[in-house]
Amino acid sequence: MELENVYYNKGDFVETASGNKVCRHTVLCGSQNIILHGKAIVQQDAIIRGDLANVRSGRYCIISRGVVLRPPFKKFSKGVAFFPLQIGDHVFFGEGSVVNAAVIGNYVYIGKNCIIGRRCVLKDCCYIADNTVLAPETTVPAFAHVAGSPGAAVAELPECTPDLMTEFTKSFYQHFVPHALC
Amino acid sequence: MAFLMYGDPKVKYLCSCGSMKPISRIYFCRHCMKIKCGFCVSHEVDLHYCSNCLENLPSTEARLKKNRCGYCFDCPSCQISLNTRAVSQAVPNPDDPSKMLSKKSYYLVCAFCRWTSREASIPDQNVANGGWPEIDCPNSKRVAELVDHYQEISLQEKDEEERKKKYQVRPSYFHYAEKYGLSAALAKKRMGGTPQRETRTQQSALVPAVASEEVEELSDSVFIEQLELNKVTTIKQRLASPEIQPTVVSQLYPLHKSLLVKRSLRCRDCEHNVSKPEFNPSSTKFKIQLSAFYHVPDVKFLTCEPVFIGKRSELIITVCNPTQHQSSFKMHPFELNLGAKGSGDAEESAPGLKLCLPECARDAQFKINGTIKLPTTEFQLLPRDDTAEFDDSNKGPTFNDDPKVVVWRRGNKIALRMAVSPDADAEGVLSIGFVIEYSYVNTMTTLEKKEPQKVKLKTHILLRPGPIFKSSQ
Amino acid sequence: MNSLTMLYEGRNLISEKPVVVIDIGRAYTKCGFAGESAPRCIIPSEFLCKSTGASKKVFDYETRDQLYQNFVEFGHILFFKYLLVTPKDRKVVIVESLLNPSLERDTLAQVLFSYYELSSVCMVPSHMVSLYTLAVPTALVLDIGYKEAVLIPVVENTPVLHAYQALALAGEAVELNLRKLLESQCKEEEQFYLKAKPLPNSTVEDIKVRGCFVTKLDRAQMIQASVKEPSVSAPTPPPDLPYPLGGDRSITIPGTSRELAYEVLFELDNDLMSIATMILDAILKCPLDTRVSLAENILLIGGTSMALGLKSRLQQELLDLLVTPQYIKKLALKKFCFHNPPAKENYVAWLGGAIMGATNSIVKRSVTREDYSKVPKIPDWADLSFNCNDGVKRG
Repeated sequence: MELENVYYNKGDFVETASGNKVCRHTVLCGSQNIILHGKAIVQQDAIIRGDLANVRSGRYCIISRGVVLRPPFKKFSKGVAFFPLQIGDHVFFGEGSVVNAAVIGNYVYIGKNCIIGRRCVLKDCCYIADNTVLAPETTVPAFAHVAGSPGAAVAELPECTPDLMTEFTKSFYQHFVPHALC
Repeated sequence: MAFLMYGDPKVKYLCSCGSMKPISRIYFCRHCMKIKCGFCVSHEVDLHYCSNCLENLPSTEARLKKNRCGYCFDCPSCQISLNTRAVSQAVPNPDDPSKMLSKKSYYLVCAFCRWTSREASIPDQNVANGGWPEIDCPNSKRVAELVDHYQEISLQEKDEEERKKKYQVRPSYFHYAEKYGLSAALAKKRMGGTPQRETRTQQSALVPAVASEEVEELSDSVFIEQLELNKVTTIKQRLASPEIQPTVVSQLYPLHKSLLVKRSLRCRDCEHNVSKPEFNPSSTKFKIQLSAFYHVPDVKFLTCEPVFIGKRSELIITVCNPTQHQSSFKMHPFELNLGAKGSGDAEESAPGLKLCLPECARDAQFKINGTIKLPTTEFQLLPRDDTAEFDDSNKGPTFNDDPKVVVWRRGNKIALRMAVSPDADAEGVLSIGFVIEYSYVNTMTTLEKKEPQKVKLKTHILLRPGPIFKSSQ
Repeated sequence: MNSLTMLYEGRNLISEKPVVVIDIGRAYTKCGFAGESAPRCIIPSEFLCKSTGASKKVFDYETRDQLYQNFVEFGHILFFKYLLVTPKDRKVVIVESLLNPSLERDTLAQVLFSYYELSSVCMVPSHMVSLYTLAVPTALVLDIGYKEAVLIPVVENTPVLHAYQALALAGEAVELNLRKLLESQCKEEEQFYLKAKPLPNSTVEDIKVRGCFVTKLDRAQMIQASVKEPSVSAPTPPPDLPYPLGGDRSITIPGTSRELAYEVLFELDNDLMSIATMILDAILKCPLDTRVSLAENILLIGGTSMALGLKSRLQQELLDLLVTPQYIKKLALKKFCFHNPPAKENYVAWLGGAIMGATNSIVKRSVTREDYSKVPKIPDWADLSFNCNDGVKRG
């Protein structure tokens, strides 16, 4: 299905030179550590904790409302250290998800209200269904469709998933347009 | 948005086997120029890998290890991967008792349900990887004896049959030896073979099972003690290890993680691969990838006005050209005479092997209950151009599009407007279809034809715009 | 790596492709490779239906085509998720009940040959092949599964088909009985709740397996007597079991339900039949000289026969029925002996198939792909075209 235009108030969003559209009502801690490579959308009430560690994301990332991106920590004998959170290109985060993963590959779709445990590794082209809870330190292999709590692989994704996700994120970005009147 | 991964259920393509699938789930075989789906291709196991450590295992090793990873374990309680955790203990140094050394010992723990290997009374290991004690199957020895015993019996059976045959053949034995050139040594072996084989008749020392009159009685504690449900295993936990099937939680033992496979798909008609994954489990590239997504025009749904009986509604769809060549397409009305079930000739010789094509699947989804007024002109589509997004200037050939039919045209996409109306007796969801005839450039070079050939291919498409409402009047 | 190589067992050479052994039951399917001592997996006979998203049972079908589709989908799960082998050109042993409908056998054979392109299929009867695990030629095999309990005596490795007994008294009957008991014996507020939203099948199965047991004969008789005559007091029931239902819902399984759920297998119904009478009736139908050896070689297989206390209760019932007027004059048996197979009862039939599959005897008894392509039929005892005495192999 072709997406329809989603409108937003021009005043609410800041558009950067590289094409990132970031809402003003978000909590971006440590914004100097947050790198959004280009054409990303960060919607209302999202929280990105760049103060704990670096958060690096690729192009065409879509962060929906209420998403929490938090770098994972590791307990050492001498205390706690935070690891950087790396996100690939063309990743979609559904509303309300809490992400503590260590590495997220390219072309990943994360559904609504998911909880991604700490230090999880999500490989390229995986699909996390809505309301999934991934236990800490799970590895999600490529082309896996994961669902349930605890998250377990239930199905396999089609081979053309990279292109499907690319088209989806690009078209989402293109249809995310400001109101004509503002 | 699950439709994203399973395709838009509103638009389905007809595969050559008769099932309707969304475009993300079908393949295009370039040799037979037909659409194939997961049902009509044959699947083969290509490589084994572990989903936790993402290590590739060769098939012989996978078979040796019973399709399980050697390093990764599954929690017996919730069936997800177990993590290894280290614990340091202060242990006196063997050389110098006064100094304390910190020794690391490892145990397995589940991050979800907090089951630990200590609950199964497994001692902590000194090595991070491996070293976990294995459980022996209690019956393996007996089963091996049984297999030996029955194998002997079956070989005896075989011997007896051959002996019967031999008694018939014997008179003309030498004649055969000359005819087929059996060497003298072989002949001697055959003649002298019988006494050797007779020694095999000695029975193996297998003790057959003895039934016992004493049967374990139900203990009276069942009637008195309160059953603690937390200590009893569920069916799923029991069946996860079929040999032991523990009934109490304290007997749960970590299981080696099952491997996953990557499959390669092969078209049944021309025996060419339609999809072949790469060796590396984490890679998303393919050695051969013939998804229909890259070859067949992608029809997507844009909008549809609510459908009422007796009224005409407007439907807008987009057609996208995924290939690198300029293509044209035309739309024809739906043809329901699908005639032959699959490719007819090859299966007539082996009637038993005919792939049973699901008739019910075909009929149920084919219920066309509306009419669609199709545009009659042929449309041209530009090739797919990935650089177009960076190129702002609208350079490109202009097409004389009828503004009543074409809503907009962007790059390799075009939006078309059509009128649909449901049948008078239609109910439920409106399903309409059409045939799209498109030009396809076959870039594969064969021995006969060195240049890419242009062919015209037809595909049936089924659309389901939405529910039918009764007329408001 | 020594502990890892211990994972390997079985007689298969690395160069040979091991034979696949599958036992598709109504509730659970056991599948694995021949020569091994346990199946690789025991999974419920269901699959996730792609169009509706709900799980569908394999044997839930209306037309032959639907069954074909079900087998194809389920086969995908078996071969590519659990066995992890390419089905093409493999040999397969299917362990099945002799009383399986011919439609299911034929459709399964069609799926295996035309869709999965196996090289040969051997269908073995579950009752006969279970004796391979014991190396005993004569036994009375009672399979208490999910849908029905089937008893076929096997004498000298041949099933005595005319003495078969089949009753729909198995796992499903116990679950239905448990539901009825819960609805009538639970606390008031819970009863209302249960009627409004009945418990899902998986929950009832879980309660049955974890919480219920088969009580002793004397207690059962006392309970029955107390029902008929309220003056007779019933024995104290076992303690109640609080059972959490997810979220903060929970119900209390009354002790009486726990004790009486399995009674449906032993109560004499209108035709005066129960699991125990099945055994005695079958023995009666067998020739006189085999009766004692059959009674002294009883083999219980099937998942439901793993219930706590079932074996001892069955023995008590049999000894009790021997002195009733129905049987006292016909049977002169003194004792009943039960076998202990080298496997859990729910996969004994599979193990028998696996032992057979590791020998050469399947070579002669399988239907190969070439034979099937000429005549698409699997030999069936119910089909007269295979039972004619012309000594020529059909196909």
